[in-house]
Amino acid sequence: MADDLRLTVNGIDRPVSVKPETPLIFVLRNQLKLSGPRLGCGMAQCGACAVLIDGAEARACITPVSFAVGKRVTTIEGLPAVWAAQKGLGPSAAATTLHPVQQAWIDEQVPQCGYCQSGMMIAAVQLLSRNPDPSIAQIKDAFTNTAPSPHLCRCGTYLAIIDAVRRAAKAMRE
Amino acid sequence: MDTVTLTRRDLLTGSGALFVSLYCAGRLSAGSGRSASTEPAMLASWLEIRSDNTALIRTGRTETGTGMSGYYPQVIAEELRMRPEAISLLMGDTDKTPDGGYSAGFLYGMSNVRKVAAYAYQALLKLAARRLGVDTSALEVVDGVVSGGGRRITYGQLLAGQELDLKIPVRGQPARADPKAWAGIGSLEGFTVLGDPPMKPMREFNIIGTSYPVPGIPDKVTGKTQWSCDVQLPGMLHARLVRPATLGSTLISVGGLDKTLFPTASIVTRGNLVAVVSPDEWEAVIAAQSVAAATRWTEWSGLPASEQLSRALREHDWGPPAHTRGSKAAVLTSLASAAKTVSGSYEQPYVRHAPIGPFVAVADVRGDASVTVWTHSAHSQGLRARLAGMLNVPIEKVVVRWLEHAGQFGRTTLGGDGAEADAVILSQLTGKPVRVQWTLQEDLAWSSVSPGWVSNAAAALDADGQLTAVRNSFYSPHMDDVRPLGALLAGMPSFTPAPGGGVASEWPYDRVGLRWEEAYTMPNLGAGAVSGGLRGNIMRTPGQRQQNFVLESLLNEAAAVARADPIQFRIQHSSQRRLIDILNATAVAARWDSRPSPHPGAHKQGAQTVSGRGVCVVVRQNAYWAGIAVVEVVPQTGAVRVTRFTIGVDCGKIINPRQLQRCMQSGVVMGLSEALKEEVTFDTGKVTSTDWSRYRILTMAEVPEIEVVRISRDDCGFGGGSEAANAVVPGAVAAAFFDATGVWPRRIPLTPDYVTALLRAA
Repeated sequence: MADDLRLTVNGIDRPVSVKPETPLIFVLRNQLKLSGPRLGCGMAQCGACAVLIDGAEARACITPVSFAVGKRVTTIEGLPAVWAAQKGLGPSAAATTLHPVQQAWIDEQVPQCGYCQSGMMIAAVQLLSRNPDPSIAQIKDAFTNTAPSPHLCRCGTYLAIIDAVRRAAKAMRE
Repeated sequence: MDTVTLTRRDLLTGSGALFVSLYCAGRLSAGSGRSASTEPAMLASWLEIRSDNTALIRTGRTETGTGMSGYYPQVIAEELRMRPEAISLLMGDTDKTPDGGYSAGFLYGMSNVRKVAAYAYQALLKLAARRLGVDTSALEVVDGVVSGGGRRITYGQLLAGQELDLKIPVRGQPARADPKAWAGIGSLEGFTVLGDPPMKPMREFNIIGTSYPVPGIPDKVTGKTQWSCDVQLPGMLHARLVRPATLGSTLISVGGLDKTLFPTASIVTRGNLVAVVSPDEWEAVIAAQSVAAATRWTEWSGLPASEQLSRALREHDWGPPAHTRGSKAAVLTSLASAAKTVSGSYEQPYVRHAPIGPFVAVADVRGDASVTVWTHSAHSQGLRARLAGMLNVPIEKVVVRWLEHAGQFGRTTLGGDGAEADAVILSQLTGKPVRVQWTLQEDLAWSSVSPGWVSNAAAALDADGQLTAVRNSFYSPHMDDVRPLGALLAGMPSFTPAPGGGVASEWPYDRVGLRWEEAYTMPNLGAGAVSGGLRGNIMRTPGQRQQNFVLESLLNEAAAVARADPIQFRIQHSSQRRLIDILNATAVAARWDSRPSPHPGAHKQGAQTVSGRGVCVVVRQNAYWAGIAVVEVVPQTGAVRVTRFTIGVDCGKIINPRQLQRCMQSGVVMGLSEALKEEVTFDTGKVTSTDWSRYRILTMAEVPEIEVVRISRDDCGFGGGSEAANAVVPGAVAAAFFDATGVWPRRIPLTPDYVTALLRAA
């Protein structure tokens, strides 16, 4: 029943033995011990589980692990390395530099409970990869109207997220 | 008289420290028969100041998402004259924290730890005075370095090579199961520090009042935080529950489990608690779905459908009010002799906490009946007491470990209603550690809820348009049923929730007579069900959130009848300076256009957008709030959009301005969600709003521009700044809707269906 699959998660080759239809979220969390993506609704309605697969946002709660084979999976744990590669940072700088989205999330003190924020940062990275200088309206649109569902925050941190996305955008353009 | 004692420990186990511990006057010392070994809460020290010039504060209260884990170090650092970065915090573990108490009570918890720090500071000053050979009055402390008589010494140097115990007097006891107590738990507030140590004057604060970053945020952003959902133990089983077909169904037969498809899964049941467990989480998920499809339950239909809710509440025989305030005779006289009266009946359906992460818990029940539970409950000691009561074991057998998880807005403030009881029962039955993960559908269908309510209000105006009296009668099913679902379904001991509650609203219009009547005499809807039915529970700004919508809406209606500007109308009827100041400051920030409502261009028909503005205030926990909404309404479609919200607060001395701003903005978002969208729906047997497409909450696109106004004062103590922002929103939005349309909405949420029906009928 279980298949031996090879995943590439945060740039590292990760063999797993798992049923191929298992949603990616359970493999990331239970087998690879990554706690960034979190289970929310389990049906792609909230965004708490979002990860990047080949640079595009995917909801790990409904994505079968087999879909990720041969593709690059990125969680928030891997964002610093993504940025380091993008900027060509050396090993010592890379080890101490967060992705500008993460740094902006800290500087703007975005998380309240923080449960949804991993998915929010993934959505922000995705947005900034296609629009390096989004307006407030474009940020609202991206976090609300991008399929498959809005990214939901019950604490109500939406304005802090907007502030952080704009801060990160500025840092990434510089 | 309670005394503070400083003693030297005989054995040195580290490099030196000062331990600040609790001393329960008249209990331990009087030989109450309760030795320290049976009182785990007595063992853990509250504060440790270490020889490396750092400090550790331990509190049973927890972070609930409002930044408290940053405020505690700020407060401690201020009193101890240390840097907040030098202070670490351990929260919520019952075996490592002494004080207990519910986490929502930050002000209460803070006043305790401030005193703890103040006592410790006095002890450190005495030690330093002796060492430096000068009087304490000649000492100055900056960042943990004591100066005096031309010499300097750090706290760490003062403590090096010795271990000292400072015992400070407290009152109280750990929370314990008490089926006769309100909410089934005695001592919900935990310990209270006694005495009055000298405190640092507010005008000398230099850490409180700064935007110290919340310490846990970097780990949350980089994926290093261990959340309660991350706990994995050797041999642990994952569980998914198979819930009854309705709130009142009982089990007829459990569906079969196909071992060829699910080889490592098994079914575990106790009473009506049915679960599928497996070492593989995904197998537990799909095996539970398979078992659920073939499991048979009895039929039950003990609820009024949600469309019938208001009628059911209005038809209920509520009996005499349980709580009253003010003179009924005086207010009835004013109403009878009024030049004009305004009256209305207000209502709101059920709403719920709706955390983004459904509830999760891990329990490890050992053969010797020792229980360890990992949770994100906001009341660890209360939960410990509840679980011990359920298992009928002494509380010392139960350890609750706290970790962060999704915000839940009061759902576990009273130590109940999560997945913990499920996990404990299943661990006991399987003999293995069990992790129970509720699904979103379960969370939205089976967790406790904030009950719907109706309220009848009337106001009297004299010939000059002055408000002379207000009467309100508020009716709600009760809000204190925090029995764990697992205990109910498994038929294990719990408590009987007693209808209760209180007058939550504060009345700032001291020039107006008030008669308040409140009845919480209705049990849960469907109370006879094995699950308890719709278990009513408190939720953010409990009681006052609902009641304030009524009172402030009535004020706005009265102002309109008096042809008065709603802000000026409020100011006329209050002598409370802080209320008037925050109203004026918020009005300026909102560029308030002073005039009566409705707007001269108000329309209740047509496809053209109309706009309006409205105001609402709330007074709670020594804080004065004002909210001003600007809305746009399309009468034909019933679409209501809030385009701007200005929120002001005077909560006394502001602890952390940036966190306050964030809490105010996010509180407005939650209030808008409630005002515009949220409604629990149910048929006669079960909740039907069980995913995010049917229990709708505000999305980012619906968030307006939110402006924040803050007034900090050094002369009014501390007030609650994190919670009540949500409570000014519905009243302001409803008033703005009236300003735009000329029609009063006396119900929230302002959904398109409700709004089109309301405007059509007007």
